[in-house]
Amino acid sequence: MATTFELISSVTVGAGGASSIDFTSIPATYTDLCLVFSLRSSDGSDYCGLKFNNSSSSFSSRQIYGNGSGAGSTTRSNNDLTAVQTPSSYTSNTFSNNAIYIPNYAGSANKSYSRDSVFENNGTNAIQTLEAGIWSNTSAINQVTLVHPSATFVQYSTAYLYGVSNA
Amino acid sequence: MASTYEPIATTTLGSGQGLVTFASIPATYTDLRLVYTGTGSATIPFALQFNNDTGSNYSYTLLYGTGSSAASTRGTSQTEGYVGNVWTDQNTIIVDIMNYSNTTTYKTQISRANSAGNRVAAWVNLWRSTAAINKIDITATGGGSYQTGSTFTLYGIKAA
Amino acid sequence: MLNVITGVHGAGTPPVTNSYESIATVTVGAGGSGTISFTSIPSTYKHLQIRATVLESNDGVMGFRFGNGSIDSGNNYTIHELYGTGSSASAYAATAQNNIGINYNYSASPLSSAPSVAVVDILDYANTSKNKTLRALCGVDYNGSGYVRLDSGLWLSTAAINAIDIVAYSGKTFNQYSSFALYGIKG
Repeated sequence: MATTFELISSVTVGAGGASSIDFTSIPATYTDLCLVFSLRSSDGSDYCGLKFNNSSSSFSSRQIYGNGSGAGSTTRSNNDLTAVQTPSSYTSNTFSNNAIYIPNYAGSANKSYSRDSVFENNGTNAIQTLEAGIWSNTSAINQVTLVHPSATFVQYSTAYLYGVSNA
Repeated sequence: MASTYEPIATTTLGSGQGLVTFASIPATYTDLRLVYTGTGSATIPFALQFNNDTGSNYSYTLLYGTGSSAASTRGTSQTEGYVGNVWTDQNTIIVDIMNYSNTTTYKTQISRANSAGNRVAAWVNLWRSTAAINKIDITATGGGSYQTGSTFTLYGIKAA
Repeated sequence: MLNVITGVHGAGTPPVTNSYESIATVTVGAGGSGTISFTSIPSTYKHLQIRATVLESNDGVMGFRFGNGSIDSGNNYTIHELYGTGSSASAYAATAQNNIGINYNYSASPLSSAPSVAVVDILDYANTSKNKTLRALCGVDYNGSGYVRLDSGLWLSTAAINAIDIVAYSGKTFNQYSSFALYGIKG
C-alpha cells in the first residue's frame, strides 16, 4: 500500500547561512504537498518569499495576523512576504514555525495553498498568521523555494517537504 | 501493518454538484481530516451534515481576514455545520474532525478555509450529538455547486 | 520485498516508510486528571504533533510544559495569541509564564459535552541549537459562545524535549473522556 504521508526531502542550513532553500525535482506521484519549516533571519526581516517552479510571478495572497497587541489583515499581489522567520533582533536561538499545505500540486488547475505561521519572542512582539495563497498557474509544481528578501537564513534553519497521497 | 495516517476515500467531480457524500465511514480511526481544493459556481458554503442530521444542531465561531480587516463572527442553531466558504477562484479547505467516533461527547471540528482572492479564515464548528460520525454530507446550501475538478479527500488518523 | 532487500544492502530503492507515527495516547478516566504526561519521548523524530479533545472542570487554558528528564515549571515560557471571540478579532501576549497556555476552555456550563480541540505542532523538538516554538490551531464553540485561535508559545531552552506535561488551569482537572494523542513526524 502506498505511504500516505512521506518525507520527500529536507534541508538544514549550515554555517554561513543560505539566501534560499530549494526543493527541486519534486515527483508528481503524490496528491498534495506539505512543507514545514523553521527559520531565523540574519537581519531584521520577519517574512520571506515563496517561489514555485522558480517563478515569482502570478502569486497573490490574503493574510490575517496577530502581533501580540492587535490583529489585522493584509493582501499581497506578489510572493515576496509569504512566510515568517524570526528576525535577528528577537530572542536568540529562536526560530519560526510554519506549515504550508498545497493540495493537488501536480494537477491542471491554479495552485491554491494554505499557510499557518508563527514566530515567537520573549516580549510582546511576535507574529501569528494564517494565509490564503494562490499561484495562478496551471503547471504542475516540481520546485518549491523559500527566498530570503535581503540577507540569509541562519544556521540551523530547517525545511522539510512531505508528500501526501490519497490512494 | 495499519498506518497512522490513511486515505479513506476521494471524490473528484466530473461535473458541478451541490452535494458530496462520504458514507460508511469506519469507526477505527481517532480523527478524520477532510481536504478540499476546487472552485464554486458562486460564493457558496462548505457545510457539513453528519449522519443525516438536518436539525438545528450545529453552530460555529469564525475568525477571518478580508485583506483589510480582521474580524470574527458566529452562527447558532444552524441546520448544517459551517466549516468554510468556497469562492469562484481556487480554494483550499482543511477540516479536522476530532474524536469523531466517540459516543460520549459532542463533536468539534476545526478548519482552515482559504481563498486568496476573498478571505482567509479559521472556523470551529460544533455538532451537538454524541453519536459516532459514520456519514458526512458536504453541502453547498442555497443552490450553488462545487465545480468540475473539485477534489474532496477524507483521511483517517489513528492514535496509539 | 525486493526493494527492502536491496535497501538493506545499500543499493537500489530504499523501503518506503510512513513519516507520521503515533507515539502515545492518554484518555482521561473517571475522576478526571490535573496533568497529562508524556515521558521518554524518543528523539528519533523531527517534529511532534499533539491532537487533543478537551473537557475541563473550570474555565481556563490548557498549559504546556516541556522538559529533558525533569519538567521545567519555571517562568521560562511565553505565549502569543491571535483569536476570534465571535464578535471581534484580537491578539494577546504574555511573558515569564510557567507554562504555554493555549486553547481556552469553558467549564461544565454552558455545554458540558462540547469539547475544545487543539492541533499543536512543535518543529525540531530534539534540536539542541534551538529554543522550542509551539504552534496551535484550536478552539471551541458552545452554540452562542466560544473562541477560535492560532496560538504560539516559546520554551526558552535549547534542550531536547523528551517529556511534556499538559496541565489543567489553576489546579483544576481535565474531565473524563478528554483525550490527548502524541504523534511523531520523521524528517
